[in-house]
Amino acid sequence: MTVPLLSARGLSFRYGEREVLRDVDLDLSSGQVTILLGPNGSGKSTLIKILSGALPPGGGEVALLGRSPQEYDRREMARLLSVVGQDPPVDFPMTVDEYVALGRFPHQGLFGGTSSSDREEIEGALAMTGLAPLRDRALSAISAGERQRATVARAVAQGARVMLLDEPTAFLDIRHRVAFYEIVTRLAGTRGVAALVASHDLSLCAEYGERIVLLSGGAVASQGRPEEVLTPENVREAYRVEVACDRNPATGAVRVTPLRGSPPKKG
Amino acid sequence: MTRRAAGKGSGAVFPVLVAALLGAVALSTSTGPVAIPFRKMAEALLHGGDDTPSRVLLSLRLPRALLGALVGGALASSGVAFQALLRNPLADPYILGVSGGAAVGALTVALFLSADASPALPLFAFLGAAMSALSVFLLARRKSGVSPERLILMGVVVGAFLNAVIMLMVTLSPPGKIPGALYWLMGDLGLGTPRRVAVLFPYVASGFAVLFLLSRGLDLLLLGDQAAFQTGLSVERVKTATYLTASLLAGSVVAVSGLIGFVGLIVPHGARVLVGSGHRRLLPAAFLLGGAFLVLSDTIARTASPAGELPVGAVTALAGAPFFLYLLRRNGGRS
Repeated sequence: MTVPLLSARGLSFRYGEREVLRDVDLDLSSGQVTILLGPNGSGKSTLIKILSGALPPGGGEVALLGRSPQEYDRREMARLLSVVGQDPPVDFPMTVDEYVALGRFPHQGLFGGTSSSDREEIEGALAMTGLAPLRDRALSAISAGERQRATVARAVAQGARVMLLDEPTAFLDIRHRVAFYEIVTRLAGTRGVAALVASHDLSLCAEYGERIVLLSGGAVASQGRPEEVLTPENVREAYRVEVACDRNPATGAVRVTPLRGSPPKKG
Repeated sequence: MTRRAAGKGSGAVFPVLVAALLGAVALSTSTGPVAIPFRKMAEALLHGGDDTPSRVLLSLRLPRALLGALVGGALASSGVAFQALLRNPLADPYILGVSGGAAVGALTVALFLSADASPALPLFAFLGAAMSALSVFLLARRKSGVSPERLILMGVVVGAFLNAVIMLMVTLSPPGKIPGALYWLMGDLGLGTPRRVAVLFPYVASGFAVLFLLSRGLDLLLLGDQAAFQTGLSVERVKTATYLTASLLAGSVVAVSGLIGFVGLIVPHGARVLVGSGHRRLLPAAFLLGGAFLVLSDTIARTASPAGELPVGAVTALAGAPFFLYLLRRNGGRS
């Protein structure tokens, strides 16, 4: 049993009166892709904010390599943990290369320059995300899918061992979704990254995730291997929708299919 | 040509910009009712001189051109900083209340002290600008930090309030007291004396230096607060320092030259076309470009009309808008 890079115990959080998270336990280990599922408003983004140190937990604790995120200096933290979120568009001219290079900030600081090892990491990130041919293009002149990959590339260039990715495939077509999960799987495989991906894509998750954590109403409804978590009962409970779960004959992974004509049941 | 080639590859941009600024200063000092040839200028600069051309040059034109360079550079770099801070290409140094505050300060002097009390006027304009910039900041601040949206909102609220104060002051003032102050608000480099240049210089130099040191932070602010935070930036610290420094730059410049529009809004975009959005190159480029641009505009303002000087702010807009539209359109396909 490896020691998890990031672990959370008994996390809870409230926005005013509203309870958003309740007693959440979570471990992220090196080389493992964990998928965070849950309906809109189930607390996924809040959980990611707390894990990344952007929000202090209301209760419970987070440990990144044994220390609470709040104890870290900002740059030290960013060298260990990166986040791919839903950032606002950049309204200023910037090339893909310049954008990805910003990921090296935690290694450079306000006053540092770009070293050859920075350059190497940037090249590596561009190559891994297939963006090398687009490096000189303006960020505003590439497609939404390519821009999403650039955001991932920036996080890769950051060189962190823990990556938190918040619904990064929300607006992407199937080709770019697959490409995204391929990149994350490769990061886990080759760099030993511990990845947490918040997603709505049940079947793709089952294909790529080794572990799935299903949040519902701010609490962990189920976690484990895809076939343990993705059952008709669990999905109905969390999403209020009837599904059939079987095995994909081509890959053997769990396949989740919504059933027509089955109105959501009151829970 | 890609933007990268335009941005990083061409090291020739900076020598050209320095030459443009020096050329603008030389042109401006040689142009006027008394034409001064370049050779005479060189002589006067090297050896001094007691004849009329030398005195015009050393005590009038050169200080005025240097003031223009400082003011233009400061407005452009302050504009760069505000645009990054608010993540908004339409931001300029006056967007968050600096202009309204400076106007109230200037009108206060005109009303209650004397229309000709020009030594007090810059001081009050600066105090007014600093006070309104500070109140916008404090009003916008929350426990979670200062968001661009709240800054703009509070800037609008404070600006509207100050506008009302300005209207009241203008309406209720006795006739004849106000026009001087109003003309001054339209922007004027005529206050360029050696002493004033010397007073402004440390403000501009230190303000620019602080912004330059924050360059990397400004780069990251373009990504949005969350992303900047997650990439390791102490976002609130950098934003506070940027806000106060850019306001100080704008306020100190307003105090000596009134409100000169357009430079702080559009020169940053012109500079981005030349060097890209990385602030280590963008800030110096904007400073040089802004300086050259304002010195040239002021030369036109001084000499274009036989009837007298035009407000330099009108010239900056008239001359600058088409030129920068051209620059932006030429590169529009890629930006």
